[in-house]
Amino acid sequence: MSGKTLVITSGKGGVGKTTATANIGTALALRSRRVVVVDTDIGLRNLDVVMGLEYRIDYDLIDVIEERCYAENALVQDLRAGELYLMAAAQTRDKDCISPAQLSNLCRRLEMDFDYVILDCPAGIEHGFRNAVAAAREALVVTTPEASAMRDADRVIGLLQNGDVRRTRVIINRIKPELVRQGGMMDSAEALDLLGVDAVGLVPADDRVITSSNRGRTVAHDAAAPSGREFLRIAARLDGEHIPLIEPTEEPGESVSIMDKVRHLMGLSRGVGAGV
Amino acid sequence: MIESQPAVPATTPAVAADAAVKVQRCGTLVNFEIDDALPLEAACRELREHLGRFRELYAGGEVVVDVGRRMLSDDQKQRIGKVFASESGLSVRQFWCAPDILEMERDRISDLLSEQAPVVRKVQGAAEPPPAADDTITPPQSEPQGAADSPAVQCDATPTLIVRGARRSGETLHLPGNAVILGNVNPGAQIIADGDILVFGALRGLAHAGAAGNANASIVALSAAKPALRIAGYVWDDAAALESPLLSGAGVPGNRTAIIASVQDDAVRVSPYVKNYGISPDGISPDGISQGGNPDER
Repeated sequence: MSGKTLVITSGKGGVGKTTATANIGTALALRSRRVVVVDTDIGLRNLDVVMGLEYRIDYDLIDVIEERCYAENALVQDLRAGELYLMAAAQTRDKDCISPAQLSNLCRRLEMDFDYVILDCPAGIEHGFRNAVAAAREALVVTTPEASAMRDADRVIGLLQNGDVRRTRVIINRIKPELVRQGGMMDSAEALDLLGVDAVGLVPADDRVITSSNRGRTVAHDAAAPSGREFLRIAARLDGEHIPLIEPTEEPGESVSIMDKVRHLMGLSRGVGAGV
Repeated sequence: MIESQPAVPATTPAVAADAAVKVQRCGTLVNFEIDDALPLEAACRELREHLGRFRELYAGGEVVVDVGRRMLSDDQKQRIGKVFASESGLSVRQFWCAPDILEMERDRISDLLSEQAPVVRKVQGAAEPPPAADDTITPPQSEPQGAADSPAVQCDATPTLIVRGARRSGETLHLPGNAVILGNVNPGAQIIADGDILVFGALRGLAHAGAAGNANASIVALSAAKPALRIAGYVWDDAAALESPLLSGAGVPGNRTAIIASVQDDAVRVSPYVKNYGISPDGISPDGISQGGNPDER
């Protein structure tokens, strides 16, 4: 088997790299691919938390690099998604303790066993970024449709295009259709015109991303969530299927949640606090 | 003489015999500059001496040799290559010369071939950017010479550099002539040129035309969205205009309106670009649509 290594990066922090990594990993695994997600954010690890696997980690990426264990020992399987494995970052070390070559070697080894090796890149464009990018053949740049995130994404795309990454695509995250309609947020066409690269997904803002990650369960398991559905589509596109980009709209997802609130207020819901 | 940039020997007559080889850092590149007024023989000797003196510095790598205002034969190129090979670990990847010399040589050859005098000379200086590992690009300098040859057409003798592709956040281009950008200039990117700046795309970053002090320089872009505009010593600072449809970026990419910025009455003024280089006398009106200047004037 010869898989490929993707890096998920953004430049700016807090735009949803880790969430995207967890969800794309899950969605690919739900398509029966063998997937390993690697947290390269050494010292600030949180991919394990988002995936709800933090209590099962014995060895981490640094243990593998420094040969205290085999790569297999550091892989934690997420049993809810089939062949999805996590290699966590070390929390007690920093980015300088690995080199781009070491991470590249590890990825080449993992590619022999997995269809997809997905690297969750740290924010910034320093050592941690260079480590992750050197190991990857393709990059997915996550951004939100805000001027600050766009500028950083643009910078990162420039750096990637000058480097060895062969293909760079973008995921626009947390699109708020209502704000776009009112002119308070740039639409994805404008964002893509600015960045000048293809998009692989347009993910709507969705509170269920937060609630599910707080429960340690990725939203890609929830096909009722608009964001979860888009992550499933992203996985399909990465897998080579031709699925057109779908601009998020103000749609049933929103109104259902409003109806839920109304029902909740009327005491009809089985939600927390109701039915007492 | 090596890497990236040509020497500018014609304008540096002060180079003394003892500084025939000057070495400068230029970003990540090392720029060797050898006085090309020296005969080739003497230049080789100076180079040999310099490389020998700093042998351990140049352990390996490839260099591009810019021979300035000379046209070398294959034999001469081989000789220079041998100097590098014998005195250092460097190898020569490519030779360059000043573009006007190359053009003269081409003209000479085509004259020889066709026995026909060239009728029209090309506009001076339009040259491809050198393969830049650095953010800063300096195009080869060349002396204005077109004006005398072609009095019929008034043309700009300033060198022009054509830059292909979008400029992204974090990139800065310094150009000692006019700049033509075939692509967008994104927020956070900077284009600084001593001449005019033409952007065939959306201008969203910083453009500084006439950076060496030419207040007659102008900036033209197919569309603009919250750009930072500077011409010579003038900084465009018009918060009201920034919110106008012309400059706020609303409607981009669907609705593009070309703009031109120039200095009028001691301030940078922006207006919709009107055909024939017309600059609206009114500058920009609140709705972003101003009266055209005098399109028939030329």
